[in-house]
Amino acid sequence: IPLQSKLPRVTEPSLKNLTKLNYGKPEEAQHPPIQDLTRPHVDSFNWFVNDGVKLLAKGLAPLEVLINNDRLALSFTDISVEKPKIEDGFRNCRTTQVYPSECRQRGATYQAKIQASLSFEINGMKQGTIPRCLGTIPIMVKSDRCNLHGLSPKELVEKQEEEQEMGGYFVVNGNEKVVRMLIMQRRNYPVGIVRPSWKNRGQNYTEFGVSVRSMTEDQTTAPFVLHYLSNGTVTICVYHRKEMFFLPLVLILKALVPFSDRDIYKELIKTKEDDTYFTCCVQNMLRQAQAYNLFEQKDFLRYLGEKFRIKLNRASWYSDTDIAHFMLKHHVLIHLDSNEDKFRLISFMTRKVFDLALGKCMPDDADSVQNQEVLLPGHLFQMVIKEKLNLWLLTLSRVVLRKATAAKAKTAIPGLSSVLIQNSMSSVPDVTSAMSYLLATGTLVSNTGLGLMQFAGLTVIADKLNYMRYISHFRCIHRGAFFAQMRTTTVRKLLPESWGFLCPVHTPDGSPCGLMNHMSFLCEIVTHPPSNDAMLPLLNRLGMLSPTTSEVAGFGKFYPVILDGKLIGWMPVHQGHQAVNVIRCKKARGQDNVPITLEICLIEYTGKPTQYPGLYLMSQEARMVRPVMNLITGTVEMIGSFEQVYMNICIIPEEAHKMTTHQELSQHSILSAVASLTPYSDFNQSPRNMYQCQMGKQTMGTPCQAIAYRADNKLYRIQTPQAALVRPYMYDHYKMDNFPFGQNAVVAVISYTGYDMEDAMILNKGSFDRGFAYGTIYKTDLIDLSSKVGDRTVNVTFGTNPKDDRFPDLNLGADGLPAVGQRLLTGDNYYSYIDHSNSEMKVVKYSGQETGYVDSVRVLSNNAGTGHFKRVSIVLRVQRNPIIGDKFASRHGQKGICSQKWPMANLPFTESGMFPDIVFNPHGFPSRMTIGMMIESMAGKSAAMHGHCYDATPFTFTEDKPAIEFFGDLLTEAGYNYYGTETMYSGVSGLEMEAQIFIGIVYYQRLRHMVSDKFQVRTTGPVDMITQQPVKGRKRAGGIRFGEMERDALLAHGCAMLLYDRLLTSSDCSKARLCEKCGSLLTTMIEKEQDGTHVHLSEQKWICRACHTGDHIVLVDIPFVYRYLVNELAAMNIKTILSVE
Amino acid sequence: MSSTPASSFGKSPSGRTPGRTPRPGEEPVAGQPKAMVYICGECHQENEIRSRDPIRCRECGCRIMYKKRTKRMVVFDAR
Repeated sequence: IPLQSKLPRVTEPSLKNLTKLNYGKPEEAQHPPIQDLTRPHVDSFNWFVNDGVKLLAKGLAPLEVLINNDRLALSFTDISVEKPKIEDGFRNCRTTQVYPSECRQRGATYQAKIQASLSFEINGMKQGTIPRCLGTIPIMVKSDRCNLHGLSPKELVEKQEEEQEMGGYFVVNGNEKVVRMLIMQRRNYPVGIVRPSWKNRGQNYTEFGVSVRSMTEDQTTAPFVLHYLSNGTVTICVYHRKEMFFLPLVLILKALVPFSDRDIYKELIKTKEDDTYFTCCVQNMLRQAQAYNLFEQKDFLRYLGEKFRIKLNRASWYSDTDIAHFMLKHHVLIHLDSNEDKFRLISFMTRKVFDLALGKCMPDDADSVQNQEVLLPGHLFQMVIKEKLNLWLLTLSRVVLRKATAAKAKTAIPGLSSVLIQNSMSSVPDVTSAMSYLLATGTLVSNTGLGLMQFAGLTVIADKLNYMRYISHFRCIHRGAFFAQMRTTTVRKLLPESWGFLCPVHTPDGSPCGLMNHMSFLCEIVTHPPSNDAMLPLLNRLGMLSPTTSEVAGFGKFYPVILDGKLIGWMPVHQGHQAVNVIRCKKARGQDNVPITLEICLIEYTGKPTQYPGLYLMSQEARMVRPVMNLITGTVEMIGSFEQVYMNICIIPEEAHKMTTHQELSQHSILSAVASLTPYSDFNQSPRNMYQCQMGKQTMGTPCQAIAYRADNKLYRIQTPQAALVRPYMYDHYKMDNFPFGQNAVVAVISYTGYDMEDAMILNKGSFDRGFAYGTIYKTDLIDLSSKVGDRTVNVTFGTNPKDDRFPDLNLGADGLPAVGQRLLTGDNYYSYIDHSNSEMKVVKYSGQETGYVDSVRVLSNNAGTGHFKRVSIVLRVQRNPIIGDKFASRHGQKGICSQKWPMANLPFTESGMFPDIVFNPHGFPSRMTIGMMIESMAGKSAAMHGHCYDATPFTFTEDKPAIEFFGDLLTEAGYNYYGTETMYSGVSGLEMEAQIFIGIVYYQRLRHMVSDKFQVRTTGPVDMITQQPVKGRKRAGGIRFGEMERDALLAHGCAMLLYDRLLTSSDCSKARLCEKCGSLLTTMIEKEQDGTHVHLSEQKWICRACHTGDHIVLVDIPFVYRYLVNELAAMNIKTILSVE
Repeated sequence: MSSTPASSFGKSPSGRTPGRTPRPGEEPVAGQPKAMVYICGECHQENEIRSRDPIRCRECGCRIMYKKRTKRMVVFDAR
């Protein structure tokens, strides 16, 4: 990767792109910064389809079963993912390729086949391979397996995509789904953790432990925890199928290596020979292990295998030793291949856990990005597919077993042939539904747990509300749903370690605050593990000692060298710094095959409790990295979140000191893509910038360019957007002018008319008439007749029956669909369909509350192109021009509701005759302290006067060069007041106002919250079936709850009649007859006619069945629910007596 | 599979001439199934589709068809 290209190439914003000659023509190549936004998603998926599936075949253990005394072993030899194609058999088309646009419009899934070769062995003899399609899996748009891969902007536009389409999502049932990036514990790094809940794991257990999230290259996860016990021993916790197993340390060590007790002891106490407590504890543990009466490695293996035989469920012919080896391979530090390496790492962890428990080193912070990595879509896919394929093999083996047993019973010939296996395969469910279910619902069904903490909410819809919201879906990193429930706030805290990786500004406030973060715009995630083969020879040359050497002894003289969770040697302390410098220079220069994303971190011995000292090198995938300038080599270097803590990085050259080795690429590199679009954010109070990050994502803007080819449920569009006059250069970096989302409004800061109180703002009616903030909503209605008609056999299609005269004013086309361009009012005929069995026509009416215009009608087929006239998608256009109650906001977290559209003639005007578009109340400034908005106002005014676009990038102005001075001078030059104020005249009286009014141009966004979607009003309406009370909910024309607190308020005021009216008369008041004598509501009834003569209603007599008299019956008003309650109580054998006075 | 046979490719299936396109909203001949004209989402070819036909473009096999814009007057708030 050419690292120098990380630097933003634009350093000054300009409006020239709007006037260039080839405006509107697709460019030659796509714009790299935009493509970088979704890179973690796309590249990780590429890793999955290219490298991951190959590892799958290798990593899946062969499935072995005993069938009729034959040992059958099933495994995959070759797995590959194809490109999306149309279904086999459908041929009459120009191209067999399927493109995402079609899937979006048709509500289909963009998917491709996954092919595999199944190889099977009988009694260890290879029998051959059977090619087999394992189903279809959703394909990420713009990945290597997507048909859009490598297309130029022009070709993309031809394929009905965006010019700058960046992919990164899946199309599932027509929805664009993004796999959420989740924070995970850093893989293959032993973290020291203090967790009080660990005390409950058993007797003597303490809160101290060292945990490793051990992961193989095929993304299989096996958690591994070393527990410190208060009696000075250590136990190991391993997991199998979400179940925990606790084993003594020595049992595992002895099973791993054929070493003598002395050798094990020497390795364990390395560098801590003088620590008598530790050595005694180790000796004690070894001594305790004598109690097993096992002496050699093979004895321990047999013992371990015997205990795990049932749980691991291996084929019956395996010996206990085989099972123990399998257990060690798949459950103990699975990232290491050799048992000796596992032994050495466990020894290292043992030393660490003792140091942690005795306070000699500090615990690692699990909430800091230093110890975290990111779960990427491709890696999740790999994990899930691996599990599903394992399940597939298991199911296949069961089917084969069943069929073979049945065949044997019939013919007495053991029928283990490839034909039998092939036949069996057809009754094994493929992976199609599992994968599309995962993406469609975000819910993972897993029996192993995959080392994840959450199994729901793994995907989100990539909402194309506007461009900012869209891109932030791909930059979002979630801490995990588990932490949302946590009462403590520690996980939400902003830590200094996340500098440059996670944006401090771009997080929502409220419940997800601090849990949902966004990556800084320069931050990247390593998706492909680079080769680190060069590291071992390099380190050896730099003086590293072999891990087996006996030279290593004594505290504080050697650093353990840990490369990707493997102890590869010991570095003498005096050579540590030199080694790190050499490696870092080679990394920054890209020399000697040192991975450019390698993390190099030397944690020194300081004599104080710090992080556990050692030389840590990390090269694996899923780590967050970001570019900084290496001042020594003069190149851009990618640094990781672990090493950053121990690096000296200056922001600007002036603050460098003699320790400084690196410099930030830009001063705002800590900000996310969305946060860096806030103009002059360094002038604002910080929460205002957070608000803008949220409000920017709720703005009605330009969602996409290909609106005609989309079928989103709802698309918001602003009709008259403008390019911002004042903008940070990141606007141009991300080509935001392609997706404008606001207008440059003339804003007068003045308290006028009183309609601008409390964050309300007044809109100029003249501006409104000229199209200010006009908007539209596109609503797509996907109508599928087969789901409307329950019976599948009934043949229905859209259409009209001209002979049917029940609908004289049908106003629909002959095809039963509304005309394109037609206006639809509530209750108009929407579409009609015919049941072909009896030619009966049914007409469905338009039920929407708002007037819509038919924008397009699409008739949709099925995947094979044989679909009938049954599925259509109708796009309706709903006008949403600003009205009173709509929400607007500037880009500084200053939101307001339009309270009036004021006639232009009555608004104040300036000397030059300018009328404001928006009147903003000056009280909005003092408490919010959004100075950035004031500067934007001045900058916008000078930009309009001078025809120039001014840079609003944060941190460009300083104390010595203040923004006020810069824009004040510009305004003076343009003939305005230095401070941006003007004399204004009252629009009503024409008199000059005494106060000078601050007036300028501010870019205003229109937010999607509109009264039309919110207003709720009801006089009478539907009531609940059971309680007779008004229903709730705007959709059902329900009422607004008059709740307990409202009741309390009326009680406190003594408004008894009002209370009576609200809670009884206007709710569920009902007349009831009550017997005063027995006090029962339930026993009163109409007297039975004696002789069968019909009694008129008015002459009916009510009696009480219990008292046998009607003399005491009174008619009272009671709430209907009360009667219901009395009935329910009666059903529970509880009598209710009312005493009436 | 990937090879596309040219049997009916580019030609219209027997019995139907795509040349004569009835106006949208035109009254169908009595007794015949009603055919309407739709535009292919990919090649923009006009296709006549009857209510019992499979939905796909006869020209390119595209599986999405657009209804043509109405020729009826769609001016509403004439003041």
